[in-house]
Amino acid sequence: MLSDQLSLTFAALADPTRRAILTRLAEGEATVNELAEPFPISKPAISRHLKVLEHAGLIIRSRQAQWRPSRMQADPLDDAVEWMQSRKRTWEARIDRLDAHLRHKGEQRE
Amino acid sequence: MSDSTPVTAADQEVLITRIFDVPREQVFKAWTDPDEVAAWYGPEHMDVPREKVRIDLRVGGRWEVTMVRPGGGAEFAISYEILELVEPELIVMRSDPMPEAGMHEPTVVRVELHDHGAKTRMTLSDGPYPPAGRGDAEAGYNAALEKLATRLGR
Repeated sequence: MLSDQLSLTFAALADPTRRAILTRLAEGEATVNELAEPFPISKPAISRHLKVLEHAGLIIRSRQAQWRPSRMQADPLDDAVEWMQSRKRTWEARIDRLDAHLRHKGEQRE
Repeated sequence: MSDSTPVTAADQEVLITRIFDVPREQVFKAWTDPDEVAAWYGPEHMDVPREKVRIDLRVGGRWEVTMVRPGGGAEFAISYEILELVEPELIVMRSDPMPEAGMHEPTVVRVELHDHGAKTRMTLSDGPYPPAGRGDAEAGYNAALEKLATRLGR
């Protein structure tokens, strides 16, 4: 039984899209729509990934709300997720400044 | 250029999509003109002096930036080799390893600029994290998996 659970967990983590979904959920709970946004795949495909993650116990999905937000449920993965997040934060901050720079130049031209 | 990103792009990569209210020629220039790069690149608390930006804009050329703490002191250099270059739509660069920053393996930054007329949709990917080879990131990932296994074993 234990090895079955381990297999489930590692199988769930073996897929790049599911790891990316977990990364997103590390920022907070999200609906299927929100999770599907960055991916070039359909919402039903995202839903199937969520089922696998839920089955493996890596996420919890709300039973109450109609839109069933998902929540990450794997504290031990924080180290891995935090690394990705720090890289993402660095890029997000950089691109914020790129955006401000482009706006500033646009204003100068007007 | 295709608008679709392969699903595998999510594999151990940072993925960011952003819309800018300017045509993509201007976004391309912001990445490739040293005057422009000096104006935006680098963290809030550090400057990128214009003379510390060196861009040899060609495939195989270098893309180098040094960030400097105002008032002197710490410097932090980031350098890439340009792998692909299609004006004004694509820049692909491979980082030089930075062991002092815990980056023992190169990562590849891919910047795609999609034409939306007066606007530009930029997709940026950076990875792989953790790298395929040895490195702190992979060690962190494996440690996390081990902790998970231990927890499940209880």
